[in-house]
Amino acid sequence: MTAVETPTTSEATASVVVPMWKQRLKIFMSNRLAVASAIFLILITAACYIVPMLHPVNETNQALTFDVKWNAAPSAAHWLGTDSNGFDELGRIFFGGEYSLTLGFLAGIITIVVGTVYGMVSGFFGGVVDTVMMRFIDAVLSIPYLFLLITLIAIFNRSTTFLICIIGFTGWWGNARIIRGDALLIRNLEYAQAANAMGASKWHIIRRHVFPNSMSNIVTVATFSVADAILFLSALGFLGLGIEPPQTDWGTMLQAGTAQMQNGYWWEIYPIAAVFILVVVAINYIGDALRDAFEVRLLER
Amino acid sequence: MLTYLLRRLAQSALVLLIVLLITFTLPYFQNHGIYGPAYAILGTHATPFNVAQWGARNGMNHPYLVRFWTYLTQLIFHGNLGQSYKQNMSVWGLIGLYVPRTIWLALSSLILTVLIAIPLGIAQASRRNTVFDYTATGTAFILYAIPSFLLCMLALNLFSFHTLHLPSSPPSGVSPWAMFTDPKGFILPVGCLTLLSLAGLSRFMRGTVLEVMVQDYIRTAKAKGCSSRRVLYRHAFRNALGPIVTILGLSIPGLLGGALIIESVFNYGGLGIQTVAAATNLDIPVVLGITLLVAILTLLGNLVADVSLGLVNPRIRIEGAAK
Repeated sequence: MTAVETPTTSEATASVVVPMWKQRLKIFMSNRLAVASAIFLILITAACYIVPMLHPVNETNQALTFDVKWNAAPSAAHWLGTDSNGFDELGRIFFGGEYSLTLGFLAGIITIVVGTVYGMVSGFFGGVVDTVMMRFIDAVLSIPYLFLLITLIAIFNRSTTFLICIIGFTGWWGNARIIRGDALLIRNLEYAQAANAMGASKWHIIRRHVFPNSMSNIVTVATFSVADAILFLSALGFLGLGIEPPQTDWGTMLQAGTAQMQNGYWWEIYPIAAVFILVVVAINYIGDALRDAFEVRLLER
Repeated sequence: MLTYLLRRLAQSALVLLIVLLITFTLPYFQNHGIYGPAYAILGTHATPFNVAQWGARNGMNHPYLVRFWTYLTQLIFHGNLGQSYKQNMSVWGLIGLYVPRTIWLALSSLILTVLIAIPLGIAQASRRNTVFDYTATGTAFILYAIPSFLLCMLALNLFSFHTLHLPSSPPSGVSPWAMFTDPKGFILPVGCLTLLSLAGLSRFMRGTVLEVMVQDYIRTAKAKGCSSRRVLYRHAFRNALGPIVTILGLSIPGLLGGALIIESVFNYGGLGIQTVAAATNLDIPVVLGITLLVAILTLLGNLVADVSLGLVNPRIRIEGAAK
């Protein structure tokens, strides 16, 4: 399954092996919306990490910015105005993005790794193991997720590391269920059965058959997990449980912006809202395109 | 069918026990262990004597297993969920006070969502890759990407402060029946919750109908000369109903989670606000009670979904009977 040999049209020429990743890249590239989304996401991520280092306005310490202007309208000095603390809004967007995106990506990676391992084990071994592991998933899935997050934060704390861990180690339940379904299905397919009959070890079957064939779902679920983590962090921000000040994240900023909406300070809400929505939409479009790219059945035609 | 139901009920009881164990064990990881809430209620400078006294009053001086057993037997044999630490009320009293309001909110928006999402999904699937489909999909993507509180605040700003001047929250202290007598205050909360769940469901419906449309029986139906309308509603729609029923059964925790944000924004006194307050104040009996309630509702939803799935889809019914 590592490489698919696609015979060239002419019988005379030797068949050329097109590596799988190249085929996938081609399918991904054919989706223009997804390519645009990927470029946008890369640019905004880079900006969120680089701009806070270069931007002349101090984003965290208002005491360092002389003659503080609160809620100032956009001007040459502050392109997107200042917020209710006198921080430069543009700088804050990138500064908050650094936290939102870092947290989203790291938590997303944790959810997909844990979810994949759990789902694979549960689906592949089946029987009692599967029943017990899936009843646990049923149990935790019937607790409202946001409620659980709030309880965990109340019990422990909300340092950045801990927020990543909380969202990461509680977000994988749905993923595990999807991947378990895949593993269960593939385990019973002919090629996995054949490998089993030929005496392949369980580890070999998981590695060479189950894992590559559920890759489509794993990759898709991974991208959506990142989007979900960013969204859940923003919901926590709204409830005042986001990243602790003086650091910030997009959810906390949106919450602060909505509080100023009735005063007509549009620059405190609409730019950040636009960036946030575009980032999440972009991640979803990328996820959709990746699903197509990793769909093995589409690939071999 | 009966053995199937019994097996499902036994599994549900096991799941509930796991939920209970998790929520019961978590508070032991607090700063002061199980005595954490004592400091939240008596203040951070409470003397050890006061804390011990308060703990003894709430049965905290017993070991973990004894406490769990007491909770379980009280719950099963007396239907007792305990007393709130923070509010001078029993947990049942709190639930009775706030749950009906949230159920009304969630249920009315669920009905609205189904009524809108299913026709929308079918329309999108049958007019696939047209401008209409792209617009609907794009809107769904944006609705999915927008944080729920932001959508609520934007709606509030637009329809309450700038135009229409709808009330920003339903009148407090009225029973949910006011939804019919004075529906104005309910438009924004119900509408926002509907919009939030609409995106996911219509997108799911579209995908399911598209999946059904490539099945062999659809081709057969077309081949024997059914009108496209008949194919869509008689064959595709019926077969797409199954996954929708399942997803609706699973959507209960999400719906209540969404209600949590909606209630905070629109100041709708319901379970959501109480839940956040209980969780942040470490009011453990209330947290336990509400978690248990939602878990029961979810499991019931799953059970009803699976049973009605058997009614909708004969293939599953036969499979279930064979076991």
